[in-house]
Amino acid sequence: MRELIDRALQAASSAGASYADVRVVHTTQENLSARNGVVEGVSTSESLGIGVRAIASGSWGFAATSSLESDAVVDVARQAVAIAKASALTTRTPVELSALPAYNDSWEGPCRIDPFTVSLDEKLDLLLAADAALRAEPAVKIAKGALGFIRVEKTFGSTIGSFIEQKYTESAAGITAYAIEDGEILPRSYPNSHGGQAVQGGWEAILALDLPGNAVRVAEQAAGLISAAPCPSGTKTIVIDGPQLALQVHESIGHPTELDRVLGDEAAFAGTSFLTLEDLGVLQYGSEHVTVTSDATIPGSLGSFGYDDEGVPAQRDFIVKDGLFTGFLSSRESAVRIGRESNGCMRADGWNRTPLVRMTTLSLEPGGWSLPDLIADTEDGIYMETNNSWSIDDRRLNFQFACEIGWEIKSGELGKMIKNPNYTGITPQFWNSCDAVCSADHWQVWGIPNCGKGEPMQVAHVAHGAAPARFRDVQVGVGR
Amino acid sequence: MMLTAEQARELARRAVGLTHADGAEALVTSEDAALTRFADNRIHQNVAESDTGISVRAVVGKRMGVASTNRLDDTSLAACCERAVAAARLAPEDPDFRGLPSPVEVMTPDRVHPSVRAFDASARAEAAAAIIAQSAVRDLTAAGTVSATEYTVAVANSLGVDVGMGVSTVRSTVLSMSANGGSGWASHLSGAAGDFSPTALGDEAALLALRSDGAVSLDPGVYTVVLAPEAVSDILDFLGYLGLGAKPYAEESSFLSGKIGQQLLSPLISITDDATSAETLGLTFDFEGMPKRRTALIDAGVGRSPVTDSYWAAKLGLPNTGHALPAPNPYGPMPMNLEIAAGDARIEDMIGAVKHGVYVTRFHYVNVEDPVRAILTGMTRDGTFLIEDGRLAQPVKNLRFTQSAVDALNAVEAVGEKRTLIGPEDGGANLAPALLLSNWEFTGQTR
Repeated sequence: MRELIDRALQAASSAGASYADVRVVHTTQENLSARNGVVEGVSTSESLGIGVRAIASGSWGFAATSSLESDAVVDVARQAVAIAKASALTTRTPVELSALPAYNDSWEGPCRIDPFTVSLDEKLDLLLAADAALRAEPAVKIAKGALGFIRVEKTFGSTIGSFIEQKYTESAAGITAYAIEDGEILPRSYPNSHGGQAVQGGWEAILALDLPGNAVRVAEQAAGLISAAPCPSGTKTIVIDGPQLALQVHESIGHPTELDRVLGDEAAFAGTSFLTLEDLGVLQYGSEHVTVTSDATIPGSLGSFGYDDEGVPAQRDFIVKDGLFTGFLSSRESAVRIGRESNGCMRADGWNRTPLVRMTTLSLEPGGWSLPDLIADTEDGIYMETNNSWSIDDRRLNFQFACEIGWEIKSGELGKMIKNPNYTGITPQFWNSCDAVCSADHWQVWGIPNCGKGEPMQVAHVAHGAAPARFRDVQVGVGR
Repeated sequence: MMLTAEQARELARRAVGLTHADGAEALVTSEDAALTRFADNRIHQNVAESDTGISVRAVVGKRMGVASTNRLDDTSLAACCERAVAAARLAPEDPDFRGLPSPVEVMTPDRVHPSVRAFDASARAEAAAAIIAQSAVRDLTAAGTVSATEYTVAVANSLGVDVGMGVSTVRSTVLSMSANGGSGWASHLSGAAGDFSPTALGDEAALLALRSDGAVSLDPGVYTVVLAPEAVSDILDFLGYLGLGAKPYAEESSFLSGKIGQQLLSPLISITDDATSAETLGLTFDFEGMPKRRTALIDAGVGRSPVTDSYWAAKLGLPNTGHALPAPNPYGPMPMNLEIAAGDARIEDMIGAVKHGVYVTRFHYVNVEDPVRAILTGMTRDGTFLIEDGRLAQPVKNLRFTQSAVDALNAVEAVGEKRTLIGPEDGGANLAPALLLSNWEFTGQTR
C-alpha cells in the first residue's frame, strides 16, 4: 500500500502540486432490518478506492477512482492537479495550511467481538425477538428493527512525509414501535430514534443494549401515546433527555462552530453561521452551566480516530467553556484564518470525497444534578425524550425540535404522558436559559451516523456526550 | 472509466450467471461525476470521481440476500455473488415475495449529451467565474456549484430482464449575498451543457440578493403565500416521500390511505410521476429493470393511486408502475419524477392577486412533524418578501413554518403556467410551477 500511495504522491508532485495527500479507504458493511416479523433486508457491501487531494497554483483539486491499478492511480493524481490548476482561475489568495509535523503511525478502534464473525442466525434471532416483543402490544401496528456493522480500513500518506494506517469497527442497533390510530402515527424508539445507537465497537455493544428486554416498555409507551394529552402551547420550563440533547448540541453548537461554515464555504447548501470570527473569546454562547468540548479521543465513540483525514492527531478542545465561546472546529486551512493550528476536525465520507470540517465527539460536559433531584426541583414543566423531528435555519439560529414523548412535570413530580411535544428557540438565547445539567452518572455518548454536509453530499459519523438538562422559558407546542 | 450502457449490461448479465440461486438480479451503476464549488467569490472545492459498482440480489425460494461491491475483478465479483446467495439461504422467508419481475419492453431514450463530457474542469471553472462576476460587480459575494455528471445504470435478472441506459446532467446553484443580509437564489438543471447560461444564472441570483437587502420583521401567523417553484418542489418531494408510495399507503401512514377516489386536494392540483416526459431527466426504468410508467397520483385533487414496484404491486393487487428503488429497500417504491400540472396564471398575476401576504423563493431544512397529515416544519431563505396590495414590498427576515402540506394544497387559488425543472443531487427531478395558497402558517422568525 505504501508503494501505491508513494506513486500517487510522486505523480502529483511531478505534475506541479505544492502539497498532496492520498487516502486509500476500504469499507465493508453488513445491514439487517426487520419490519413486522419480516426480514426486509440482509445485505453486505464493500467499497474500495483512492482519493488524491492536491494544491497547485494556490488552489485545491481532488480526484478519486475505484481502480487501484498502477496507471489509474497515476492518472487520478494528475487529474487532481489539473483540477487544482483550473480552480486557480478565481484564486485571490493562495491556500495556506497550518503547521503539521509528519507522522508515521497506526491506530485501531475498540472491538471485542468482531460482528462480521457473528452468525447471521444469531443476529436475526436477536432482531426478530425484539420485533416480536414490540408486536405483542396490540396497539403497535408497525414494528421496526435494524442492525448495522461497518469496518473501515484507511491508509493516508502526504507529501510532508506522513504515513498513517487506521482501522475501526462500528456497530449500530435500534428498534421502533409505531402506534397508529385515527390518522395519527406515534413512534417510540429504543435506545434512540433514527436507527438507534451507534458506537465504535463490536457485537458486545449490541448485546449490551438488550433490545428484546426493552421492547416491552417501548411498545407500552407507544400504545400509551394514543390516549396521551396533546402538548400544551406556550412558554415552559423543559427538561431534555440525553439523546435529544445530543441532537440539540449537534445542530445548534456543532454546525455553527464549524469554521469552514463560518467562513462561508457551505453558504449555498447547508448555510452559514450566526457566529463571526470576532465572537471568539467574546460571545456568551450559553449560561455558566454550559461547557462544550470537541474530543476525538473518547474510546468507543463514533467521533473518535487516531488522526483526521489530513493527518492531524486526534485532540480534545474546549468549544464553549462556562458559557463563553472559546473555539471553532477547524482544519489546517481554516485554522490559519484565526491564527491557530488545526484542532483535527477534517473528515471525509470515504475514498471518493474530499475532507470537510466535521464534528468529532462534541459534548455538553456533565453538571452536578441527579435527574430525580432536577425533576424534584422543577415546579412546572415538561420532560421531553427522544428526537422525532428537527429543523434549523441557514444561520443555525431558529430551531424547532419535536420529540417522541413528553411527561408533564408538576410540583417536582413526573405526571401524565404528553404526545407529540415540540419546542422552538433561538440558539444563544436557548443555551443561556440552561440552568442545570445532570451529572456524569447520567452522561452518555450518543452516536449520530447521519450528519449531512457538503456537495457532493457527505454523511459523517459523529457523536455527542450529553446528560439531561433544564432550560427555562422555552416556547413549546408550536403549531399544535 | 465509466462503462457504456452495453458494457454495464454485459457486466450485469455476467453477475446473474455467477449467482447460483433460484433467481438472481444484478444492478450495475457506473458514474463519472465532477463538481466545482465556489464561495466568497472564489473556487474553494473542485472534485471529480469515477466509480462503478454492482449490487446482486439472490433469491432462494422466498428468501433474498443482497451483496454489493465496486471491486470488479473476476474473484471479487464471484465472491460478491456468493455472499448474496449465502445471505439469501440464511434469511427468513418473506411470504409476500412473489419472485423477480419478468421482462417488459422498456423505451430507453438517449439522455446522454456529449457536451456534458466536454464540460471539463476548465469549462466549469470558467462557468463559476462568470457566475461570480455577476455578484462581484455589484459588491455581492457568490457561493454555489457547477456540476457535470454522466452515469450508466443497467439491470439484468435470471428471467431475462436486460436493460441499460445512460444519463447526463449539468446542474448549477447560485446563492448571492450582500453584506447587509440580503440573499438571492437561482438554480439550473438540464441534460446538456449548451442549455446552461452561467451569466444569466448569476445575474438572477444577484438581482434577488439586492432586492432582499434590509429585511424587516414580520409577525408569525397565517398568510396568503406565493411559493416560487423551488419552494413548491420541496413540498412535492415530501408529499412523494411520505404519501405517494405504496408502502406508506398500505401501512396507513399516508394521506392517501383508504381515500382513493376522494377529493383530497384542491381541484387545481394534479400530480403525476412521469420519467418518460421529454421535459424531465433520469432513468426510464426502475432498479428492477421495469419501465417507469406515467402514473396519475392526484387528478384534479382526487386521490388516484400510489406508485408501486413488483413486490408492492403483487401484495396490493395493483399494476406495477415501475418505481422500485435498489434492493434492499426499506422505503418501498418511490416517485422520482413528480410534476404538478401547469395552470394558467402568470407569477405576476398571482402576486397581483394578494392584498397582504408573503412571497417565498425557497425553503431550508424542511422536516416532518406528522407523516399522515404531512405536517412539515422548515425555514424560508434567499428571498422572502411581504406582498402588499398586489406588489412585492419589503423583504422580511426568514420565517419558520409549521404547516400540513395536504391542507396547503387544499387551499390553492392559482397554479403557475410555467414549470421549472428542479432536481436533487442524485436521480430524478421535479417539474414544479409556482402556487398561490390562501393559507400558510408561519410559526416563528429568525433574528
